[in-house]
Amino acid sequence: MTGPWLSSKNLGKVVLGAFLIVLALLQLFPLVWVFNYSLQKTGDLFGSAFFSLPAVPQWNNYVRAFVDGKILQSSINSVFIVVTSVAATSVLAFCIAYACTRMSWKLRKVVLGFVSLGMVIPIHVTLLPNFIWFGMFGMLDTHLSLIIPYVAFQISFSTLVIAAQLQSVPLAMEESAFMDGAKYRSILPKIIAPMAAPSIVTAMISTFLADWNEFIMANTYLATDDKRTLPFSIIRFQGVYASDYAVQFACMVLVAIPALIIFFLFSKWIMAGVSAGAVKG
Amino acid sequence: MAETKPLSGGFVSLERVPMKRLFNNRPVIAALVVPGLLIMVFAMIIPIGFSVYYSLTNWSGIGDFQWVGFANYVEILTADPTFWRSLANVGILILVTVFLQNTAAFALAALLARLTPRWSRFFRTIYFIPAVLSVVVITALWGNIMNPTFGILNKFLSLFTTDPVTTSWLGKPATALGSVVWIIVWQGFGWALLFFYSALMTLPVELEEAAKIDGAGRWMTYTRVILPYLFPVISAIIVIDVISSLKQMEIIFLSTGGGPGDLTQFTAVYLYQKAFVASQYGYGNGLSILFVVVAVGLTLLVQRIFRTEGELA
Repeated sequence: MTGPWLSSKNLGKVVLGAFLIVLALLQLFPLVWVFNYSLQKTGDLFGSAFFSLPAVPQWNNYVRAFVDGKILQSSINSVFIVVTSVAATSVLAFCIAYACTRMSWKLRKVVLGFVSLGMVIPIHVTLLPNFIWFGMFGMLDTHLSLIIPYVAFQISFSTLVIAAQLQSVPLAMEESAFMDGAKYRSILPKIIAPMAAPSIVTAMISTFLADWNEFIMANTYLATDDKRTLPFSIIRFQGVYASDYAVQFACMVLVAIPALIIFFLFSKWIMAGVSAGAVKG
Repeated sequence: MAETKPLSGGFVSLERVPMKRLFNNRPVIAALVVPGLLIMVFAMIIPIGFSVYYSLTNWSGIGDFQWVGFANYVEILTADPTFWRSLANVGILILVTVFLQNTAAFALAALLARLTPRWSRFFRTIYFIPAVLSVVVITALWGNIMNPTFGILNKFLSLFTTDPVTTSWLGKPATALGSVVWIIVWQGFGWALLFFYSALMTLPVELEEAAKIDGAGRWMTYTRVILPYLFPVISAIIVIDVISSLKQMEIIFLSTGGGPGDLTQFTAVYLYQKAFVASQYGYGNGLSILFVVVAVGLTLLVQRIFRTEGELA
C-alpha cells in the first residue's frame, strides 16, 4: 500500500480521533483547572487571564488542606466505615445470591424480588425516620449509623450481580463436593466463591465507590466533627475558609485522589461488571 | 443421566433426587438469607413504617405532637405547589437523561465501538472519571466553574464578548435548572456511555454484515437493525435512568438548595428541608411516603410499558 497517507479513509480516522481527543480534554479540563489553581494563590484565580499556570507552585495549600481539612482523621473514618461496609455487603449479598439461585425453596423468587426492590427505593426517604429510629438505639453519631444503611442499600445491586454469575456455574461443582462429604460452610468459601470471584470483585468495587463518596447520610447521622467522613472535608472548608479558594481546591483534589486511584487500578472490573449488568438487563 | 440440566428461567434446575435434600436444607437457607434481609428490613422497611406513622402527625421534630390524620397528605396534594414543582423537575431530568443523554451516549459508544479495543478502553476510562468522583467534589467543582466572579465558564464566554460576562449560572432563574441538570448529566454520562458500549459489544457481527449485504447504509443499519436488536437492553437502561433521576438529591442540595425560589427543587431535597430546616418533621415524612409511592410506582410502570412493547416487537 503506497497510496497517499491522507486518503479519504484515513481522513475519517483522523477526524474521529481528533473529535474523541477534544471531547476527552473537555471532560478532563475542569479537573485540570481545579488542580492548577490548587497550586496558586487565591488572588490568581481572580485575575483576568482565562487560564494561567502557577508561577511558583504553592504546595503549602495542600499542607493547609490536609491539616485544617482534617484529611487524615476523615480518611481513617472513611476507610474504617467503607472497608467494614464493603466486606459485610459482599458476604451477605453472596449468601443471598447463592441461596436464591442454587438452592431449592419456595420463596426464593420472592426474596430475590424483595432484594431488588432495594434498588428502587431512594435512600433519601429513610433519612428522616432513621434519624429517630437509629436514635432509639443510641446509634446516631456513631459509625454504625452509616455502616448499617450502607450495607442495606448496597446489598441489592451486589446480590443481582453475583446471582447473575452464579447461574452460569455448573451444579456439578457442589454435587461432587457433597459426594466427598464436604459441608456448606466449606463449599461456599472454598469452591463457589472462587468461581463467582469476578462478579464479587465487581460488586465490591461498585460498593466501595458508592460508600466512599456517600454524603447525605454521613451529613445527617454524624454530628461530631472528628467522626465525619472524607467528603465532608470540602464542606468543612467552605464554612471556615469561605474565601480561600486555592486551599478549598487543594482539599477537593485530596478527596478525589483515593477514588481515582481505586478506579484506575480496577477500571477493567468496573467495565466488566457494567457489561454483565447491561447484558442481563 | 449425570448431565447438568440446562438453566431454566434463570434458576438452576434441581430435579435429581439424591441431591435434593442438600439443596433443600432449610437451616442453611435461613442462615444464608436471614442476616442480609434483617439488615434491609432494619434500615429500609421499618423506617418507612416510622415515616407512615409520623406523616399522620404534626410533629415539628421536638416536643409534643398531635395526631392529624391525613391532613399532611391533603395539604401536600392540594395546596403545595413546591411539591408539584419538585416532581416536575424530576420529570424534566428523566426526559433529559432518557432522550438527550442517551442519544449522545449511544452516538459516542457507536464511535468508540469502531476503535481498536485498546483505544476504546482508553477513552472509556477517561469519559468515566466523573462517575467515580464524590458528588461533593463534583458540586464544588462545577460551583466554582459557574461562579459569577472567577468561574472559568464566564471567563471563557468573555473571550467572545466586549463586556465581561458575569452570569450567576446557578443563581439566575433562567439558567439555574439547566445548570443543575447539566452537572447531573455530566456525572451520569460515563455510566450511560458504558451501558451503551457494553450493549453494542453484544451485537452479533453477522447482523451488521447482513445489513450491509442487503444494501443498507450506516444510518439505516443503526435505526432499522441495531436499535431494534438492542431494544431489551435500551429499555433496561431507561428503567435505570428513571430510578437514578428519582434518586438525585445531593448535587441540588449542595449547589442551589432548590432555589432560586423553588425553581430547582427536587422532591428528595424538599422533604429533607421540610423536616430538618423548616421543622415540619411530620409533613416531611408525608412527602417521603408520597415520594416512595411515586418512585416505586413509576419504576414499575416504566418496566411494564417496555415489557409489553418488547413482546409486541
